[in-house]
Amino acid sequence: MSYEFDWSSIPNAAPFLLQGMLVSLEITAVAVLVGIVWGTVLALMRLSGIRPLVAAAAGYVTLFRAVPLVMVLLWFFLIVPQFLQDLLNLGRAADMRLVSAMVGFALFEAAYYSEIIRAGIQSVPRGQIAAAYALGMTHWQAMRLVVLPQAFRNMVPLLLTQAIILFQDTSLVYVSALTDFFGAAYKVGERDGTIVEMLLFAGAVYFVLCYAASQLVRYLQRRLAV
Amino acid sequence: MISIRHVTKYYGEFRVLSDCSTEVRKGEVIVICGPSGSGKSTLIKCVNGLEPFQQGEIVVDGVSVGHPKTNLSKLRARVGMVFQHFELFPHMKVLENLMIAQTRVLGREREAAAEKALQLLERVGLRAHADKYPGALSGGQQQRVAIARALCMDPVCMLFDEPTSALDPEMINEVLDVMVQLAQEGMTMMVVTHEMGFARKVAHRVIFMDQGRIVEDDEKERFFSTPRSERAQQFLSKILHH
Repeated sequence: MSYEFDWSSIPNAAPFLLQGMLVSLEITAVAVLVGIVWGTVLALMRLSGIRPLVAAAAGYVTLFRAVPLVMVLLWFFLIVPQFLQDLLNLGRAADMRLVSAMVGFALFEAAYYSEIIRAGIQSVPRGQIAAAYALGMTHWQAMRLVVLPQAFRNMVPLLLTQAIILFQDTSLVYVSALTDFFGAAYKVGERDGTIVEMLLFAGAVYFVLCYAASQLVRYLQRRLAV
Repeated sequence: MISIRHVTKYYGEFRVLSDCSTEVRKGEVIVICGPSGSGKSTLIKCVNGLEPFQQGEIVVDGVSVGHPKTNLSKLRARVGMVFQHFELFPHMKVLENLMIAQTRVLGREREAAAEKALQLLERVGLRAHADKYPGALSGGQQQRVAIARALCMDPVCMLFDEPTSALDPEMINEVLDVMVQLAQEGMTMMVVTHEMGFARKVAHRVIFMDQGRIVEDDEKERFFSTPRSERAQQFLSKILHH
């Protein structure tokens, strides 16, 4: 007896699945943006040569890189929502799961991004900073106008690769019962008794999206290598 | 214009500059030469504070470089510097390279900055290349752009750190021509170079350094005809006889 695949759940639940995909993409986008900004700040702190800043940034990065992502997410889901609700004076009813997931991912990713960005900054030849200084620029101007634009250009492929990993990792929000794409597929599968089909489908979608994005990275790498 | 008094600098234990003193008057062109590792590049990088020093004093146009209260950025905006490896900003077009410090540091309007930039590109013979990226230019062209970029700031003096050492031989002259012209117009210049032809043509004085010390500091004619130190004689005989 062979297994009868039943794919009917997919078209029937399309809007629900799409909703889940939007959540996944939303978390990815916010975490990438905030992660890069906060990661840049951390990298600049780390390279500032000012001891307390260096120590703070190094401690942050070490801490987040030494803790499993799932635990960070769970921690933010269990503790931080309460805290944020009290702080922002939001009603108990407000759904903080999405916000806490975004915050958790952003803070976690920033630790990784800051290491990529630090390497990117260090890849810019020292003579460039000297030239910027020689023209009368301050340290901050030299960073903003001369070093960072070149550093980010060198880093684009790595930053995107990290974003792809992040997109895959968003499926971990199931620990907070937040319905992302993976969660939506799982729920539909459970409801309709088509778990196998839905998980195969979800895996295929992740594969197609991530493969396409990694091809884009390869294309960019070749173009930027000129 | 530039006065260097008893400057001593250490890298850790190692003494790179020992008690260096000299004066550069307004409009004077000084060539600094010496074997590699003699501290000549380090010395001119001390002049605009790119390298800190531990003892002595350097005063540029009335401003003490080593003084902790000195605003170094402000001072550097008035002192032009040209580097061995050009150091143009590769992510900006040539014109933008010449405008960025004018607008961001001096606060000039973009139009005025562009006009000034084009004027100076014209002067180094590269106006037609304003819209290219530095990577599309030859080494000689890049160095001329770098000189124009420094001149955009209306500097009171110019520092050159081996401006032709990284160039292919056939490109050296186009850069030296620009520098000669600048010297003849009365720019105050400190030039670290081994181009003795340039020194003979426009230098007023030649400084010879060895092991972090200023060994000779002489009028050009005296330096070339009768260098006093044995070390300078050896050096000259090596670089002049071929």
